[in-house]
Amino acid sequence: MSNVMLEVRDITTKYITRFRENIYAVDHVSLKIDEGKSLGIAGESGCGKSTLALSLMGYYFPPLHYTCGEIIIDGRNTSGMDPDDVRKSILGTEISYIPQAAMNALNPTQKIINFIEDVVQAHDPYQTKKQIYELARGCFESLGLPAEVLQKYPVELSGGMKQRTVIATSVILLPKILIADEPSSALDVTSQKMVIKMLKHLMENSFIKSLIFITHELPLLYNVVDDIMVMYAGQIVEKGTAEEVVFDPLHPYAKGLMGSIIVPEEGLRACKLTAIPGVPPNLKNPPSGCRFAERCKYVRSACWASSVSLREAGRGRAYRCILSEQELRDTYQREGQQNA
Amino acid sequence: MKGYQRYFLNKLGWFLVTLVCAFVLNFTLPRLMPGDPVAAIVARMAQGMSDATGVQAIYEQYTELFGTNRPLIVQFFIYVRNVFRGDFGFSFSMYPRTVADVLKSAIVWTVALQLPAIIVGWLIGNTLGALAAYLKGGFDKILMPVSIFMSNFPAFGMAVILLVVFGGALEWLPTSGGYGYDMIPNFSWEFIWSVIVHYQLPFWSIVAVAIGGQAIGMRSMAIYELNADYVKYARFMGIKDRKIIGYVFRNAMLPQITGLALAIGTMVGGALFVEIVFSYPGLGFTLLNGVMGQDYPLISASTLIITLMVLSANFAIEILYGVIDPRIKAAQAD
Amino acid sequence: MKHTIRQVFHSGKFVFGFSIFAAMVLLVIIYPLIFPYEPLEIISQGTFFEPGIYVNVYDSIGSRPYTLNLDDAAINRIAGKLGDKERQDMKVWLVAYGVPENEIDIADTEQLLNLWGTHYDPKKNIAGLTNAQRNYYIRLDASLDGLLSTEGVIIAVKNTDTGDLEEKRIVAQSDYVNIGQVANVRVLPLGTDNFGRDVLTEMVKATAVSLQIGFVGGIIATSIGLTLGLLAGYIGGLVDDVIMFFTNLFTVIPSFVLLILISFSIGQERRGATTVAVVIGFTSWIWTARAVRAQVISLRNRDHVNLSKLSGHSIAYIILADILPYIASYVVMALILQISTAIIAEASLSILGLGPKTSQVPTLGLMMNWAMIYQAHILGKWWAYFPVVVTIALVAFSMNLMNTGLDQVFNPALRE
Repeated sequence: MSNVMLEVRDITTKYITRFRENIYAVDHVSLKIDEGKSLGIAGESGCGKSTLALSLMGYYFPPLHYTCGEIIIDGRNTSGMDPDDVRKSILGTEISYIPQAAMNALNPTQKIINFIEDVVQAHDPYQTKKQIYELARGCFESLGLPAEVLQKYPVELSGGMKQRTVIATSVILLPKILIADEPSSALDVTSQKMVIKMLKHLMENSFIKSLIFITHELPLLYNVVDDIMVMYAGQIVEKGTAEEVVFDPLHPYAKGLMGSIIVPEEGLRACKLTAIPGVPPNLKNPPSGCRFAERCKYVRSACWASSVSLREAGRGRAYRCILSEQELRDTYQREGQQNA
Repeated sequence: MKGYQRYFLNKLGWFLVTLVCAFVLNFTLPRLMPGDPVAAIVARMAQGMSDATGVQAIYEQYTELFGTNRPLIVQFFIYVRNVFRGDFGFSFSMYPRTVADVLKSAIVWTVALQLPAIIVGWLIGNTLGALAAYLKGGFDKILMPVSIFMSNFPAFGMAVILLVVFGGALEWLPTSGGYGYDMIPNFSWEFIWSVIVHYQLPFWSIVAVAIGGQAIGMRSMAIYELNADYVKYARFMGIKDRKIIGYVFRNAMLPQITGLALAIGTMVGGALFVEIVFSYPGLGFTLLNGVMGQDYPLISASTLIITLMVLSANFAIEILYGVIDPRIKAAQAD
Repeated sequence: MKHTIRQVFHSGKFVFGFSIFAAMVLLVIIYPLIFPYEPLEIISQGTFFEPGIYVNVYDSIGSRPYTLNLDDAAINRIAGKLGDKERQDMKVWLVAYGVPENEIDIADTEQLLNLWGTHYDPKKNIAGLTNAQRNYYIRLDASLDGLLSTEGVIIAVKNTDTGDLEEKRIVAQSDYVNIGQVANVRVLPLGTDNFGRDVLTEMVKATAVSLQIGFVGGIIATSIGLTLGLLAGYIGGLVDDVIMFFTNLFTVIPSFVLLILISFSIGQERRGATTVAVVIGFTSWIWTARAVRAQVISLRNRDHVNLSKLSGHSIAYIILADILPYIASYVVMALILQISTAIIAEASLSILGLGPKTSQVPTLGLMMNWAMIYQAHILGKWWAYFPVVVTIALVAFSMNLMNTGLDQVFNPALRE
């Protein structure tokens, strides 16, 4: 039984708008990641994935506010910790974050090495510049980045290079958990591949113990992560291993997502490409029933009545629907036969 | 230093080109004025003279002296040559004083007033703007309307208000001149004190307007920077807020410096009007007298000096910017 | 479009600035209708009359008197003539004359006047008294004549035949006239200026003229800036280089220098209000051109523009239909800014004496210029220049405020 690296219980965070409305962007999310495992979080824009990531980091700045829930990193509960402690001992050392569009994450007027110096000294003020330089060089080189990069300004690096630099700086203090938020979305395909390789390399060589990979691109997840979590309108709608979620999705939304992927194989022309019509609900006034009801192909009157809770389906599998596993699988099979 | 070479040469070249254009403009425009200024002087000088030939002789003599009988191009080159020698010709309205003589002291007074005032205003304004962006809340809510109010006030408007309030109603400070009417410039304590006292109102007028404008700009820049991705990322990596603030202000400062370079022309202009309001013996006042006396060598020379001052300031700021912003050096280094 | 307008009028700053501006424009339009006075008419003999209500004395004598018995009438009458300063001066004279100081109580009017009446002698040679001071005391003495009497004043008219003065009527100290019944009353809320003109009427007209000059100058400047910016931004290449060269040139050479030089060389005679407006327009387009160019460059590679290009539309069409609507908000802001700048530019020029001809129309700057030349600020005649400054400042302020408000509407990032 391996170590649980990250355990999240019922984390709920909200945005408070100018007009004092509460928008619960992350609504009672719970998850568990074991040591050595990676989790992919998928969902469309606005479903709460990035907010979840910010919440995991403990990064609450107005208008984002913590409501309830616990985050336990390698046994340490960060939810009640003093912010300065969090800054010194958690951020960067236990858990680290690679932001979206990482190329903008670097201060344009600062050399990379100077930034790394600041990062290291914020956690351990006694490191000398020389020591830091050696550390940085070692880290960069083992990740396939030339040492010259350290002396450059961000403006002198290409997009892909900047992305990889940011990944490298994020792991320089060897955090246990790394959250990568859409690390490849802003890049060309070749660079995407390099970034994925780098992340895998990090896992394999124990730079980090666990990885959370956030993306809206599903095809990517199958090859990169062990488990997948699908989010919709601030809630988890499906959880399971990558194998399970991709080839045997239960929640209609996850099923819809899989159906919208083009897989180059025989008989492609005959298959129908399905898109999910409609838009996610406005979280200012979340619907009383199932949040996906509006767009669900298989909706029935009971769906609108009351909110739906997450149903366990054994061994970490879960989905949020009033129908049973069997009913869902049957419905999908019938549909598949009709389309074939 | 090599990286700066290209940047420096670029800016220097530009400076020289603008300089030439300034010369040309300053020379030609006043001379397009209809009427013959020499005739005006002669008319003044020859008042009471009834001998027509005598008047004619004087006219010719002055024409020769002022060189208005040569073709325009030749006049131009003589003009340029003379400027470099420091000879701006004779002042028409204050003949026989030379223009250079009139300008010499005026320049000193103007530079002594404007340079510190603009710098101080810039510094205070930027600091206030930055604080407003960082502290938010009450401080910001007060600062914003006040800054908007002050920056939208034309410079001389501010000057007049200060004049009326502090000089007129409260009678704390004198309202005109660079020093007491009854004093002759010397280095005694009395004189210096008088200068300082007379200096206050014009100085603070200029500073007040400068603060308003800078504060707003800096606040916007600082807000923009504070919301930038690298700030978030630095926080994620555990860097202390205080250090991050340092980054932000450095980055927000850069466009402000550029902004100063662009605005310096307007600021100097406004400051000149402040001088006029306070009858401060600087270039503004000289210009006013020149216009009133239809004295185009004086006007021409004053505007040339003003332009030169602005150009030099602009050039200096651009070079400074090149040194401070590391991206310039980096971009040039390949 | 409607939504934008609604947003705009929701913006506090914009509404505030707009109200001030609109109020001024309304004032400028309505005032001449209610008070059809000629703005440049010289109505006073003598300079710098203080603000106040000027009642024609001749007509008030001829008006029907009403008797009012007010307690403080006598006190007010005396206080007007014999203020603290006068009392002090009288004491000084008396002491110099030789009256013991402790016998003089300046608060006791009657005693003071008695002492004065007994002892004052204009011919008496008091040591240390200058000529001017001596004349002052003579005047003071004359003004005190009859101060304590309660008799009325006799109005006499000269008999055309005999040449004698015939008593017409007596004006008692308790006679009051209703100001509304007096034939000629002129309210001068801002007094008169150095020429003797009604400052308020002049100022309203001057504001109108300045606004007009501002509009014309602003529109010209915006048009030039817009056109050059569009051309430079969209066509690019050589056109861009040339235009940018000039723009950069005139960014650094202060535009007011140019303004001064051009205005000066045009000469006093040819400088009408419109000419000045045109000159201002031609020298202040720099900022607009730059801003427009920057916007156009960022728009130039957008998809809809490329689509238009592929469809074969002409350059003119693309600029007008695809680019112009997107920069409309900037153009509006630029226009407001240019108008405000033009108004201030005109004021600055006029203060220097390089503004429109002085004889035809007043402008705000010209009024400032006159006040400065005639040293109103040194003499303390604040009404000749202070309201003008406030007006200029208000105009500029309201327009800039509108602009700031608009900026926040169009640029949500700047909202608080």
